[in-house]
Amino acid sequence: MRIAHYLNQFFAGVGGEDAAGAGPDLREGAVGPGKRLAALMGDEHPIVATAFCGDDHASGHPEFAAALVEEMREMGAELLIAGPAFTSGRYGLACGRIVSAAAQAGLPALAAMHPDNPGLAEAGGTPVVASGATAREMRPSLERLAAAARKLAAGEELTTEDGRIGLVPRTNRLAKRSAAQRAAALVLERLGGDREATEIPLPSFDQVTPAAPVADPADALVALLTEGGFVPAGNPDRLESARATKWVRHSLEGLDSVQAGEFESVHGGFSTQWANADPNRILPLDVARELEREGAIGGLHSEYFATTGNGTTVADARRFGVEWAAELHQAHIQAVILTAT
Amino acid sequence: MSPSGDDGGLSRLVHEVRELVLGDRTLYESGRLTVSEEAARSLLRDPALAEVRLACASPGESVRIIGALDAVQPCSKGPGGGGVFPGFLGPALPPGRGETHVLRGTAVLAAGHLPRAQEAVIDMSGPAAPLSPLAATHNLVIEFERAPDAAWEEVEAALRRGLLRLAVHLAEAALEAEPDAVEVLPDPASFPDGRPRVGIVTNLQTQGKFKDVFVYGRSLSGGLPTLISPNELDDGAVVSGQYGHPALKNPTYLHQTHPVVAALRERDDLWLAALVLCPEPVDQGTKELVSAHAARLCAGLGLDAAILTKEGGGNADADVSLKMDRLEEEGIATVGIFAEMAGRDGTGPSLVVPPSLAKAMVSTGNYDERVSLPSCARALGGDRLALLDRPATDELELPAAAVYCALNPLGWGRLTCSEAA
Amino acid sequence: MCNLVSIARRVGAPRIVPTRGIPYPTGAPELGPEAERAWRRELLERALHALSTPVTEPTVFDGDPVQ
Repeated sequence: MRIAHYLNQFFAGVGGEDAAGAGPDLREGAVGPGKRLAALMGDEHPIVATAFCGDDHASGHPEFAAALVEEMREMGAELLIAGPAFTSGRYGLACGRIVSAAAQAGLPALAAMHPDNPGLAEAGGTPVVASGATAREMRPSLERLAAAARKLAAGEELTTEDGRIGLVPRTNRLAKRSAAQRAAALVLERLGGDREATEIPLPSFDQVTPAAPVADPADALVALLTEGGFVPAGNPDRLESARATKWVRHSLEGLDSVQAGEFESVHGGFSTQWANADPNRILPLDVARELEREGAIGGLHSEYFATTGNGTTVADARRFGVEWAAELHQAHIQAVILTAT
Repeated sequence: MSPSGDDGGLSRLVHEVRELVLGDRTLYESGRLTVSEEAARSLLRDPALAEVRLACASPGESVRIIGALDAVQPCSKGPGGGGVFPGFLGPALPPGRGETHVLRGTAVLAAGHLPRAQEAVIDMSGPAAPLSPLAATHNLVIEFERAPDAAWEEVEAALRRGLLRLAVHLAEAALEAEPDAVEVLPDPASFPDGRPRVGIVTNLQTQGKFKDVFVYGRSLSGGLPTLISPNELDDGAVVSGQYGHPALKNPTYLHQTHPVVAALRERDDLWLAALVLCPEPVDQGTKELVSAHAARLCAGLGLDAAILTKEGGGNADADVSLKMDRLEEEGIATVGIFAEMAGRDGTGPSLVVPPSLAKAMVSTGNYDERVSLPSCARALGGDRLALLDRPATDELELPAAAVYCALNPLGWGRLTCSEAA
Repeated sequence: MCNLVSIARRVGAPRIVPTRGIPYPTGAPELGPEAERAWRRELLERALHALSTPVTEPTVFDGDPVQ
């Protein structure tokens, strides 16, 4: 099977942070860690192309992925391998995005990153195997990745035994017996003392580690965010009213409050009459400015971020969160007030 | 226990149907069922229906039924039905004893438009056929036109009465025939040995017009859980008037042949001890009351375990989950039958409202996953599939949710959902 | 800051300030303009208090008015 390999600018040898803004590109054959990967995969599965992109570019331009996938296919790729991205967040995000784009385009794909990498969720149901935390663990990480890739190339499904992490899609299949017959069998197991047997593992929700508190809000830069579908009047970015796939940002500079007629909510999940009569009911800029003037808040971020939380998929919401956190870190924001409808 | 069932049990005289045709006279003869068009029309006649059309759809044929509504298995205890479908055709009194003639392998099925009915698709052949119980039966399909000034409620009532009358009429043709099999169904109240006593708690949807289920001809809406004999189901004690959630619906046919009842009857290591019917209330407080009461009832019956079933989507999951938790608190082991709503790619959370104490759940598949249906030669129930705005005979890609009974919450199907093994 | 506190808890939001209604997280239209604005200010002060308070799990800040 002909393989395309995805790397970030650093592992592709383009440069470090200084080159993080570099756009996507492709080279023939294996590059950097791809050379060892190629050796592990053997002649049967050659690496025909290496695609790469600067981490900042990849996190700011999600559309890089679909375009690169298209080019890889033109170069004859039949399988995409991305990473390993270790714990590098933006690199993991890029790997997750590119394998997800590949899978959507019908190109089998596989990524490797550390289980704590925030980019993991970007892969959706596309397979990801665990890597070590840093490039010091390159060798074992590549070995696991190569073994998983060979299995995938053979048409097999990856399981936790292969080091699979992240979301594993549940797919429909026909069982040998009816649901009613299986329920009766499960009763016997249950009466036999097995309290754990089930066909549906309980859905798990994230464990969020709370950030440390700010020492004093009077010294902190604070951002206002919302999932209330909050947009400038007329919704210039066409933010969706339900099942949002994007978020928007708009400047608050020079504004003392958000006025009716200048801002509105396009949220489709509730009546927006109150929000539109006084937009400060969704984004409390009026009193936030007052507190800023009085010194109770060190400073307000110059823009707000918003999306619509209405039937939005967990995967999209998670991506917004990762992107927001990256943006806010870059702007040295220490605290966030997020209003939710 | 005597085979005649006069000790409280029921004998089912089974006549297999292997061929279904329309003709001049209704006749059952060695597996071949002929339906008199004229008799059928007269049984369906009602001021609310301007027109009815009859058609046959058999397993393996290149036929698609769209807008499938309710389906009924023909059965009768004697001329005029002899008490089957109590509250509709017979007096509202519990049946479930004596003898019942059943035509197995056939069903009468209405197809067309009703308000609040979501389009339900049955393919009689191809990849979706194994997903639907009504793809495995020879179906007498009733298409209809509403009378210009009739209310939709009247149309629905006319169809329901018509299907039940027709089901009895067809079974009457076999009253004198030698049955292919006689199945003796003991009275659950008799308790023969030390097997674990297992009950079934079946929640019935009770959301008003076009989303209601009837017990002895009455809705359970506003009521409390009630105990009935599983044998009464064979005689049509539960009749469906619920047309939402195509894949998650329980037609009359599947109440008559309740899959969990059948699965427990076929085991020699578990004893089917009781069937409890419950409404599915629409507010949290009443859900909690019904769940707590059902648990007390099951405890009073001395059950060791219970299997729980529902009808409908996430709202109905809450009823199953609450009951599982209350039953576990009473020391009764529970197994719930759930459909998953894990998103198109199967990576979303499977259940909105899972139980918190109980864990044993059986999955009837992911509602959101797509199924590809090839084009077919003929369609019944309508010319166009409104859901996709396409000709009904086209090649279609649909969520499993649109395939009639594909994720049946009474546990009929073999469809399930899992991660890679 | 939200009205559906149980959902916020379930998804692990670390600091939660309860509000009055789903359609207006920082509004209370029934109060009238002046009282509403004063209430909103109190709500934001409560949020700032939450942000400067150490927590280890989802914590709801709905106690007495903030000093």
